[in-house]
Amino acid sequence: MGSQGDVRNGGENMAAWLVAVNTLKIQPFELPPLGPHDVRVRMKAVGICGSDVHYLKTLRCAHFVVEEPMVIGHECAGIIEEIGSEVTHLVPGDRVALEPGISCWRCSYCKQGSYNLCPEMKFFATPPVHGSLANQVVHPAELCFKLPDDISLEEGAMCEPLSVGVHACRRANVGPETNVLIMGAGPIGLVALLAARAFGAPRVVIVDVDEFRLSVAKDLGASETVQVSTKAEDVAGEVELIKKAMGEAVDITLDCAGFTKTMTTALNVTRPGGKVCLVGMGHNEMTVPLTPAAAREVDVVGVFRYKNTWPLCIDFLRSGKIDVKPLITHRFGFSQKEVEDAFETSARGGSAIKVMFNL
Amino acid sequence: MGSQGDVRNGEEENMAAWLVAVNTLKIQPFKLPSLGPYDVRVRMKAVGICGSDVHYLKTLRCAHFVVEEPMVIGHECAGIVEEIGSEVTHLVPGDRVALEPGISCWRCSYCKQGSYNLCPEMKFFATPPVHGSLANQVVHPADLCFKLPEDITLEEGAMCEPLSVGVHACRRANVGPETNVLIMGAGPIGLVALLAARAFGAPRVVIVDVDEFRLSVAKDLGASETVKVSTNEEDVAGEVELIKKAMGESVDITLDCAGFNKTMTTALNATRPGGKVCLVGMGHNEMTVPLTPAAAREVDVVGVFRYKNTWPLCIEFLRSGKIDVKPLITHRFGFSQKEVEDAFETSAHGGSAIKVMFNL
Repeated sequence: MGSQGDVRNGGENMAAWLVAVNTLKIQPFELPPLGPHDVRVRMKAVGICGSDVHYLKTLRCAHFVVEEPMVIGHECAGIIEEIGSEVTHLVPGDRVALEPGISCWRCSYCKQGSYNLCPEMKFFATPPVHGSLANQVVHPAELCFKLPDDISLEEGAMCEPLSVGVHACRRANVGPETNVLIMGAGPIGLVALLAARAFGAPRVVIVDVDEFRLSVAKDLGASETVQVSTKAEDVAGEVELIKKAMGEAVDITLDCAGFTKTMTTALNVTRPGGKVCLVGMGHNEMTVPLTPAAAREVDVVGVFRYKNTWPLCIDFLRSGKIDVKPLITHRFGFSQKEVEDAFETSARGGSAIKVMFNL
Repeated sequence: MGSQGDVRNGEEENMAAWLVAVNTLKIQPFKLPSLGPYDVRVRMKAVGICGSDVHYLKTLRCAHFVVEEPMVIGHECAGIVEEIGSEVTHLVPGDRVALEPGISCWRCSYCKQGSYNLCPEMKFFATPPVHGSLANQVVHPADLCFKLPEDITLEEGAMCEPLSVGVHACRRANVGPETNVLIMGAGPIGLVALLAARAFGAPRVVIVDVDEFRLSVAKDLGASETVKVSTNEEDVAGEVELIKKAMGESVDITLDCAGFNKTMTTALNATRPGGKVCLVGMGHNEMTVPLTPAAAREVDVVGVFRYKNTWPLCIEFLRSGKIDVKPLITHRFGFSQKEVEDAFETSAHGGSAIKVMFNL
């Protein structure tokens, strides 16, 4: 595995740039100057997210549009090489996981603790902000979280997708008394599963169309799995199968697929007074039985990324409550060809859950 | 205004308005159950008509509830206690009370955890197969009868029921002194939601409707601004802009008291990130809405099913003057066969009829 642009011997900082549809190029990436509260991090592990793939294929994601070449990647961890003058909690050599988004800390969202909703958010690889699939990045020190010695840098990079699962569990109030249903056993459904167990959910049932992914889920601690179809007419029957698999009421459903069918199933199967958390972004406009659900006080909560999740993720990893290593199924180095192959593997899905770069 | 079946001297036959077939109400005898130790017998004085009563009249069903046998209609009510059970200590004959319709089981986990409105064994006035309260008298648990202050009328007491829907919605959506509220629909439910939102301290309440008369009523009831909207889905984007301008600041909470695709779409689009949309109305069953973009802005959707623990607060709002429900009562009828028929026709007609009230 080659590592292009290894600047230890005075080379140039290189990064993987999205330059056009389906076109990634490893090119120089000039770092900004180091501010007093910043650190310079040598990237060691960077994972590929579904949004990275989406930008590659379409140059857009939701309302964000890539209008100029942009460095891709945001799930990352590395080693501190230089610290700004005001940085006290980190020193060169520290191994850190990075939280991607820089908020403004002046608006009402930030001040009220919902910094993930900051309208001025600057987030790795959400245009026009450059990502972190690079030899080095400069980043605010308070968004770099030190990893315990026995947690690998790959696990550090996994804190980012894991944070989505953790935030969803918090928003949906997952806890030791809530039976949880998860729609979808893709990377997000699986981190939601890991998080739900870590939050103490006594039963977690997970559904998917794909038997391999369900078997991975079973190994990761799902109480039961149910194979479902993509056909809308199967909803009623699948609701019954799910109830049987859970054995008790479904208190919370995390829809990590986000399609009309999965939301319809979720709304129908969740008990009165329960919650459905819409995590996945399959369909934009949905035709769903919202009124009967609302009339049973089944609430629908959404998630946008995460907030204040890195310390908890690191503690879950440290204590062994969560083991993310099985999710990393494919590894690539940082060269032009490997970057292309890695994204192709990730886009293909199937047996590829998390594709990880080692730099 | 006649009052059929009122026979205070001698053997009285209790009469009620029965739903016997589609579009067919008949005043007929209604035998009361025996008075239990925790029950009271109440002489009904004021009963309002709800949209659900009209829906049952026209279709014999509402959501998944189906009228399979003749059923007494009506559930928004207040009256005078005439007899109390042996264990009743907080009420005496002569007390004027507003009635909370639903009897929960108090054994299930929903009841025990404070969500008794979700009790699967709930027995609710005029939700089949449970008889309603448009009658001379009913027997009801004393703990569901709330004494009215002297200067609050029995009609206002009956209004506590629809007002409770607005109060529960405001609680579920966390309406308070820092939340700007948008209300979709200025029908009876939108209007009680408006009254409740102001009582909960909402600094700004913007209300929208297609009907100018209803918007003028809303303005009189304390809406900060009103916006007239259409039923055309293509007008959503423009209306969102008008709403934002009318509010002046961000929309923190939207109470959709109409419950249609268009109103929910507008609600989801107009509400700020991190805000809440409360779906109160039951216009459409299956909805086509931009749920994902809203969820990705953490705009939560909460629903309501009736209410819980709202009567004391409603009565306090009325007592203190924070809420005045009297303007909502637009039409009054007595309790005779013809007047019952006319009253339901008036209520079904909508338009300038907001709350139709029976005086018995």
